Amino acid sequence: MTDWIKLMAPAVLAIPFACPVQAVEYLSIADAQKLAFPSATRFAELEAGRSWKALAGERLLGLFVLDHVIGKHLYIDYAVSLDTSGRIHRVDILQYRESYGGEVRSESWLAQFVGKTSSSTLKVGSDIRNISGATLSSMHVTEGVKRILASYGTNNR
Amino acid sequence: MEQTTDSVRRARPLLGTFVEISAKGKALPELEAAVEEAFAAIAKVHRLMSFQEHDSDISRLNREAYAHRVKVDPWTYRVLEFSLDFHRQSEGLFDIAVAPALQQIGLLPDTPAAMSIPFSAYPANKGKKGEPLALLEGGTVRFHGSGTRIDLSGIAKGFAVDRAAEVLKYHGVLTGLVNAGGDLAAFGKTPYTIHIRDPRNPQHLLCELAVCNEALASTGTRFDPLNSCPVGGPAIIDPATRQQARTVEGVTVRASSCVVADALTKIVMIAGWDSTKLLDHYGASALIVSSDGSVHSSANWKGALELAA
Repeated sequence: MTDWIKLMAPAVLAIPFACPVQAVEYLSIADAQKLAFPSATRFAELEAGRSWKALAGERLLGLFVLDHVIGKHLYIDYAVSLDTSGRIHRVDILQYRESYGGEVRSESWLAQFVGKTSSSTLKVGSDIRNISGATLSSMHVTEGVKRILASYGTNNR
Repeated sequence: MEQTTDSVRRARPLLGTFVEISAKGKALPELEAAVEEAFAAIAKVHRLMSFQEHDSDISRLNREAYAHRVKVDPWTYRVLEFSLDFHRQSEGLFDIAVAPALQQIGLLPDTPAAMSIPFSAYPANKGKKGEPLALLEGGTVRFHGSGTRIDLSGIAKGFAVDRAAEVLKYHGVLTGLVNAGGDLAAFGKTPYTIHIRDPRNPQHLLCELAVCNEALASTGTRFDPLNSCPVGGPAIIDPATRQQARTVEGVTVRASSCVVADALTKIVMIAGWDSTKLLDHYGASALIVSSDGSVHSSANWKGALELAA
C-alpha cells in the first residue's frame, strides 16, 4: 500500500528554486531546410532571413518560412515548410528560450544568441532541461503558423 | 564521429503543446528517420483525437455516435478502451464525457449541438454503469445519450507519447525521451533528469527526478509561456460537481506507461490522497502539491528526488 511522505512544509517553499534559463537549440536554419526538403539542391532567399524557395534544379519543391514568437520571458524560432500546393508540409521549432532572470526582449539578452542558429552545433548540456509540470501552451506558435499559411499559402502555387 | 555519440533533439508544436523528442545510440541519419516517424505517430494521434478538428474521430463521434454506430481508427478504439477501464477502476472519477462542462467554462470551444442542449441534461445521458459509450464489434462506437460529448485530452497525450517511444525503440534507438508538454516517457540505460515545475508558480522548479524506463505525467496549472502566466486553473472537471477540481494544486504521476500516468494525474487531482489504492492497482506513484503549499509523495519517491529548496 502506498504511503504518503511529506517532503516540504509550506514555509520551506517561501524561497522557490528559480529556473532562470531554459534554452534549447534544436536546429540551424540550414539543417531545418534540409530536413524539410531533403531532395532540394538549393534554397533561394525570397525575403532576407524570412522566406526561401526550395528548389531541385529549377523545379519548385516548396517554401520555407522562418518566424519567431517573442514574449516577456520567451523566445521561440520556428520554421514552416509549405508544399507547392500551399499546404503545410511541416513545422519545426529551431530555438526555444525561456528566461526569468531578465526580460527576453532586452537587447543584451538576445545578443547572447545572435548567430547561434547559423551554426549546426547540437548542444546537450547543463542549460538544457527536460521539464514536467504545468503544461505549456503552444497556442502562439499555432497562431503564427496560421498567419504564415494565410500570407504564403496562396502565393506559392 | 562515433556512432554512439550521435544524438538528436527535435521539437514540434503538436497536441496543443511543444512535443520534444530526444534520441541516442544510432548513426545520425537513422536517428533523424526514427524521430521523424515518432513525430508522425504523434501527429496521427493529434489528427484522430482532436476535439477541435472537424474531421477527427472524436468530432465524428460527437456528431454522429448517438444516431448510429461510428467506425473509428484502431488507435482511437484503444484509447476509448483505456478510458472505460480508468472510468471503472476510478468509480467514475476518470470521465471523458465532461466535455460539455469544459465548454461551459470556456476550456473547449462550443459546438452548436452542445449549446442547444440544457446543461442539466448531461448527467442523465449515461449507460447502465455510468459509461458514456459502448465499444462494439468491428471497431465501432455508439453513444448512450444524445447530449454526450467526449474529449480525450486527458489521456490522448499519454497514449501519443507511448506510441512515439515505441516507434523509436522499433527503429533501434537505444536511449530516448519523448516529452509532450510534460507528459513524457524515457527509455534506455541512462536515466534522464526531469525537472518538475512548481504548479503554483510555473516559472520556478520544484524538484528534479531521475527517470529511466518509465513515464511521468503532470497536471496542474496550464501555463502560457509567452506571457509567463497561468491560464485559468486546471482543466480537470470533477464529474460529481461538474466544477474544476480544486482538491490539490498539482500532481505528477510515475507509471510504467505514459497513458497510465496521464490518466492517473486526472484522478489524483480529484481524489487527492485517497487515490492510493488506484495508484497501487496500476503500479504507479505520485507527487502531490496541495493548496497550502505542502508537498507529499509516495514513499518510493524518496531517494529518487532532488529537492529544490
